[in-house]
Amino acid sequence: MKKEYQTFTPDIKNLAENTEIKLTIKDLNPGTGKYGAKIVKAILASDPTKLPDGDVLYVRSWIGALYPQTWAIKIIEELEETEAGIPHGETIGAKK
Amino acid sequence: MAFKDLREFIKLLGKTGDVVRVKEEVDWDLEIGAIGRHAYEIQAPAQLYEKIKDYPGQRVFNGALGTFRRVAIAMGLDPNTSVKQLYKEYEARINSPIKPIVVSDGSCKENIVTGDDIDLFKIPVPYIHEGDGGRYIGTWAFEVTRDPDNSWDNWGMYRFMIHNKRYIVGWPRYSSHLSMVLHGKYVPQQKPMPMALVLGSDPLCSMIATAPIAINANEADYAGGLCQEPVKLVKCETSDLLVPANAEIVLEGEILPDRTVQEGPFGEYPGYRMEGAKDGVLVRIKAITHRNRPIFTMISLGVPPDDSSIAASLTAALAMKRRLLKHNVPITEVFVPPIGVTHIVVVGVKRGGNEVAKQIKDVLTARRADVNKIIVVDDDIDPFDFDRVIHAFATKCHPIRGMLCEEIEPPKGNALTPCYNAQERRAYRGAIALIDCTWPPELDRITSVPMKNSFDIMFPATLKNKVLANWKAYGFKEKKKEKR
Repeated sequence: MKKEYQTFTPDIKNLAENTEIKLTIKDLNPGTGKYGAKIVKAILASDPTKLPDGDVLYVRSWIGALYPQTWAIKIIEELEETEAGIPHGETIGAKK
Repeated sequence: MAFKDLREFIKLLGKTGDVVRVKEEVDWDLEIGAIGRHAYEIQAPAQLYEKIKDYPGQRVFNGALGTFRRVAIAMGLDPNTSVKQLYKEYEARINSPIKPIVVSDGSCKENIVTGDDIDLFKIPVPYIHEGDGGRYIGTWAFEVTRDPDNSWDNWGMYRFMIHNKRYIVGWPRYSSHLSMVLHGKYVPQQKPMPMALVLGSDPLCSMIATAPIAINANEADYAGGLCQEPVKLVKCETSDLLVPANAEIVLEGEILPDRTVQEGPFGEYPGYRMEGAKDGVLVRIKAITHRNRPIFTMISLGVPPDDSSIAASLTAALAMKRRLLKHNVPITEVFVPPIGVTHIVVVGVKRGGNEVAKQIKDVLTARRADVNKIIVVDDDIDPFDFDRVIHAFATKCHPIRGMLCEEIEPPKGNALTPCYNAQERRAYRGAIALIDCTWPPELDRITSVPMKNSFDIMFPATLKNKVLANWKAYGFKEKKKEKR
């Protein structure tokens, strides 16, 4: 049984395939931990047949709209729970 | 009068028929969100969910103040109190703040969870809308923070979601009081900022947390005024912050100055879901305290009305009124219609004209501009009567001379305004439309101002009195009731 995850992306064109990338995923598997976040190193494929041992990845836009195509994800490793950065970093960046 | 706690309020809602106790098992995963949203949209009662899938013994409450009727009940008034009267009562009470008292214990301390036992997934936090970025633990909850230099305790209502079992991440706006202190006094020092998230306090404490109270003013004082007695506060377990002693659940934590995670997206109070944030405000939870069989409070936010638009109708309007009066603007009333989700405000003035309208715009956009459309009406229009306001807009607002549109410099813009684009929202840019529906003061009242054809104006007083006195005799059943 494949596991299911979802990710939110500002631009689907920037979701790199067939190479290890860092991304935040939400766990969609049943249980009370559903929708919890993980930061992972993973390989993605927009065509699941190209990553047959991968799990299911639903991709949503930055406003939460679901892209019709289901991707595949192979998690290489779970990274730290949080990332370096400052609160409101994008806004502070946009001000500069 | 004040309620002892949220439970006493829910009990009273039961007596007035304003809450449904849902005994059927419901799923925290979208089902509660869907029921709650539909209930708002058909103006159904609040809901207390008593059997939550996966969470035996815990309860969820949606819609505490989702109607003006429930606000009236929370304030100890007749449920049928008019909106205008509610405004008057709210104004009178917040003009008489009462300092809180600090107590040594409270029902929020019945259970204390710390260390490795902390697991936010043990709380029945609903996944509210399909496509949200996570499970939102802070929708009808308020954050308590403190300015380290002057002990200013700020209460604010900002969204927060569960990141994982030990962290929550939120998006208090960059222009909020919390963010002002965070970026002014903690981030530059690389110090974590203590924060408490309060769920299920009595409804008026939650309501006052939505109010734009002045910088350095403690919301707890105004909550006391609103409750007409001191709010009882108790010290947190892991910081010196003070929280309402009767709260159902309190999360104690600290905002990290140098760590972040993704936040959102989330279906927000204007009725739309906009972008998530790459760099959310991350809080590491250090303790959870809660009552036995706690009640988790929430709102299934969306198109108005809901608790957000109803509470803010009062709290935002009266905050704006206070600011305008402080600047000696000749206003009569200020109304924020819930349907306008604090994006529209109607200001009544004793004396109209562009100069006064511009003065109103300058005052209401001085620090930040959550509102982006200001409608100014003469004192012959009741700002609470939106039909009359629209009539004034249609007939008295000149499409060129009556409209002033200008940009709002960042970061005063409202980053949750749907009509702005993503770049404007992220940079807190904005704009304001001033809609002047008043007669220019230089127009001669005898020769130039068109005369309004209304019952009030077009007939002699003696005749009007006769008509009203004979209304039933003419065959009518009753006079038109005041709109709520």
